[in-house]
Amino acid sequence: MEKQRLSLIGRRFLYNSIVTVGALSVATIISFYFHGVIYRSLNIALLYILAILVIGLLSSDYICGGVAALTSVILINYWFTYPFSKLDFSLSGYPMTFLVMLTLSLSISTIMIHLKEKTRILKEQEGQLIEAEKEKMRANLLRAVSHDLRTPLTSIIGAGNTYIENNSNLSEEEKLQLVSHILEDSNWLLEMVENLLSVTRIQNNAARVKKSLEPVEEVVSEAVFRLKKRHPDSSIKVTVPDEFLMIPMDAILIEQVIINLLENAIFHSQSTESIQCVVNYTDDQVSFHIIDYGVGIPEDRLDTIFDGSSYTQNLSSDSSKGMGIGLCICKTIIVAHNGTITARNHGRGAEFVFTLPREGEND
Amino acid sequence: MNKYKATILVIEDEENICNFISTTLSAQNYRVVKAYTGVEGLSIITSHCPDMVLLDLGLPDMDGLEIIRQVRTWSPMPILVISARTQETEKVEALDLGADDYITKPFGTSELLARIRTAERHTNRLSSGVHSVYHAKDLVIDFTKHLIQVRGQETHLTQVEFKIVSLLAKNSGKVMTYDSIISSIWGPYADNNNRILRVNMANIRRKLEVNPAEPEYIMTEIGIGYRMIEDEG
Repeated sequence: MEKQRLSLIGRRFLYNSIVTVGALSVATIISFYFHGVIYRSLNIALLYILAILVIGLLSSDYICGGVAALTSVILINYWFTYPFSKLDFSLSGYPMTFLVMLTLSLSISTIMIHLKEKTRILKEQEGQLIEAEKEKMRANLLRAVSHDLRTPLTSIIGAGNTYIENNSNLSEEEKLQLVSHILEDSNWLLEMVENLLSVTRIQNNAARVKKSLEPVEEVVSEAVFRLKKRHPDSSIKVTVPDEFLMIPMDAILIEQVIINLLENAIFHSQSTESIQCVVNYTDDQVSFHIIDYGVGIPEDRLDTIFDGSSYTQNLSSDSSKGMGIGLCICKTIIVAHNGTITARNHGRGAEFVFTLPREGEND
Repeated sequence: MNKYKATILVIEDEENICNFISTTLSAQNYRVVKAYTGVEGLSIITSHCPDMVLLDLGLPDMDGLEIIRQVRTWSPMPILVISARTQETEKVEALDLGADDYITKPFGTSELLARIRTAERHTNRLSSGVHSVYHAKDLVIDFTKHLIQVRGQETHLTQVEFKIVSLLAKNSGKVMTYDSIISSIWGPYADNNNRILRVNMANIRRKLEVNPAEPEYIMTEIGIGYRMIEDEG
């Protein structure tokens, strides 16, 4: 650790030295040219000020600017003012010139470094703001999760207890009912946990996922296949383009998004009409549409439906099967893929659309 | 006297899961032997010689993959791997080491029994020789005549497509990893980029399936490979 820090300081020192020496050398070389062709020491002083400006811009230390200013004054005095190749600060008028130049140089480098400091702080604050936003999302998610996990768990524990404690008083039919409730609720729990697990696949590095090229039709068909296994009587119509499309994605995560959206449609559309799952594409993106023909989404929820927060504010009676977490996770996954996700009412029901970029397809 | 269908060894450290599997299998007239650790499992495999092994990969004392590796040095007995959904690489590794199939946690009893039956049939088929015809739903494949019929119509497949379909059909019910398909179609030195396989599969599906996005015959196991539905003939 200590060694690493030292080498970092060393590298910075080296960099600052190179910048300072380099800029001054360039100024000196040009000055010699000016000095030889036309005798004008004013131009030369300006050249050195320019060099100091560049040093202030590129270096990361006050000292560089100061050293450069001092060196400049000495160099000009030594080489470019009479008597040449000799230090003499007593010439009439010159001490004043040099004093002004030194002040000017020091002020420039101070302003430069101050400015850089300001930008750095601003950037940092911006980062903190994003971090706070993320923290808020995480807190919302956690609140929703703890509610969503507790509800089915309560029911499972309750049913299990009833079964064991009242075993002799229960009819066969009642027992079967208790056990089937346990089964139903554990399946619901499983889904939730799978969703949460999928988030851990992205969480590690805020917005990066491990992508590989996957055929769109295979991902869609497997998602639908798995959903039908869980909801055997659901009816879903799938339409994919005839062209063979392969796009970069984490297939497990995208599958999760499709399943969440389809399940959302099954639970909330309050309709038995087939759900449509349609894939379209343009030159730069592929879009997935999940369309149901049911009651649609309440207008006031459209804007916040993917936030997870809208969920906690709307703890209505049927919220044990709320899709707050599911949709929130969909958004997280799609954003991590640089895609977009939107919800709208199409007149006869709800439509969710998410897009994935086709970039990097030929990698 | 009870006559058992087969002896199945369950290697699983989680007692509840082990008990649930054992209850299910016993009810189906299988004889069940339980092992809670890898070492115990290996010693039972050598001493009891079970007809099949159900193996959880996450064991406390050793890597489940090591068990597959050791058993495969001397026995082709069916090994069914139990694993979690998100561990694709682990599943692929287990299959490539010689596991016969895998089942994803959590699973239902019917799914478990179906996988066991598939594995059993597979061993029987291996010993009795491969059928010359595959038949499932509306699909008939005649391996010797190089003929494929879908919904009563003869379908033309390219050479490579036919090879892929026959390979899957001969191993029907079993998942085949991308790498194992690629090396048996294009040879062991083929590029292991699976794009060419995926493109071929897309073409096959367009010829065999009514809707390629809702396949009836060849299922995708994302990140792992393909599985053709069980031969009915």
